[in-house]
Amino acid sequence: MPTVRLRDAAEYPDTAQALFAASKSWFNHDFPEPPAMSRVMAWDPEFGGPHGRAMKRAMMPGEFTRAEKEMVAAVVSGVNACQY
Amino acid sequence: MRDDALWYEAALVVGVTNALNVVADALDGTATDLLAPVEEATAGDDTRALFAEIRAFYVRDDVPLPFRVMAHDPGYAADVFQAVKRMFLDNRLERRLKEALAFAVSLTSRSRLGTAFHLGEMRRLGIGPRGWMEVLGVTQMFSSYTKIADTLQLEPDMGDIAPVDHSPAPGGRPVVKVTRAPVVKGKRSRARSAR
Repeated sequence: MPTVRLRDAAEYPDTAQALFAASKSWFNHDFPEPPAMSRVMAWDPEFGGPHGRAMKRAMMPGEFTRAEKEMVAAVVSGVNACQY
Repeated sequence: MRDDALWYEAALVVGVTNALNVVADALDGTATDLLAPVEEATAGDDTRALFAEIRAFYVRDDVPLPFRVMAHDPGYAADVFQAVKRMFLDNRLERRLKEALAFAVSLTSRSRLGTAFHLGEMRRLGIGPRGWMEVLGVTQMFSSYTKIADTLQLEPDMGDIAPVDHSPAPGGRPVVKVTRAPVVKGKRSRARSAR
């Protein structure tokens, strides 16, 4: 169980709604609520904004495809024993 | 990346990479005084043949430390190398991606020797600085996300995005699940009456 109460998207200010829209577009999936991590990142947009941009920059297709990078990300999560 | 086969393969790459890294890092330095790597000059014929195969696989002049340590039991070393070779050869995933995964595993687990080794392998396979940075960036970003998620104990909420792969295990047959209609008292169910 999370150690904090995750707020619904509606509880966030307008500035955060742009981050949620970007998250929805990134995953190309219609979530009933933005993913928990998106809501955490939107807590402080001055952190979540650049962190998210760095992530997207790292995940953009280059020498490796985005799908290949998703696999790298899954592997990193596995080694870190992160279930999320 | 929808097929489970790709993810099975990736997981096996992760496992065997970690297996080599733990031996390489733990025994690098002073520990090799106690468990010295096998020297080729004094090794038996089986070990020399294995070392030649390992050098050929990695296209290098030396045999990586873990294999030289494992060679105290040549049969064990040979089996481990066969497993490693099987996992790193092009299969459903290309070797270049597998080396990228191994580089990410080594970075994440702070394996000094594994990081250097798999970076070298990526370079040998033609992946340039841009590619190294891509893997480094993904590794770093997801090392951030995972720790944030763990600190807040977030529960998975994106697991059902991916479709389920119903294909059987390699060489196996698909299993057709029969769902029976409920038996209603005093009546024969459709499933039965259809027989």
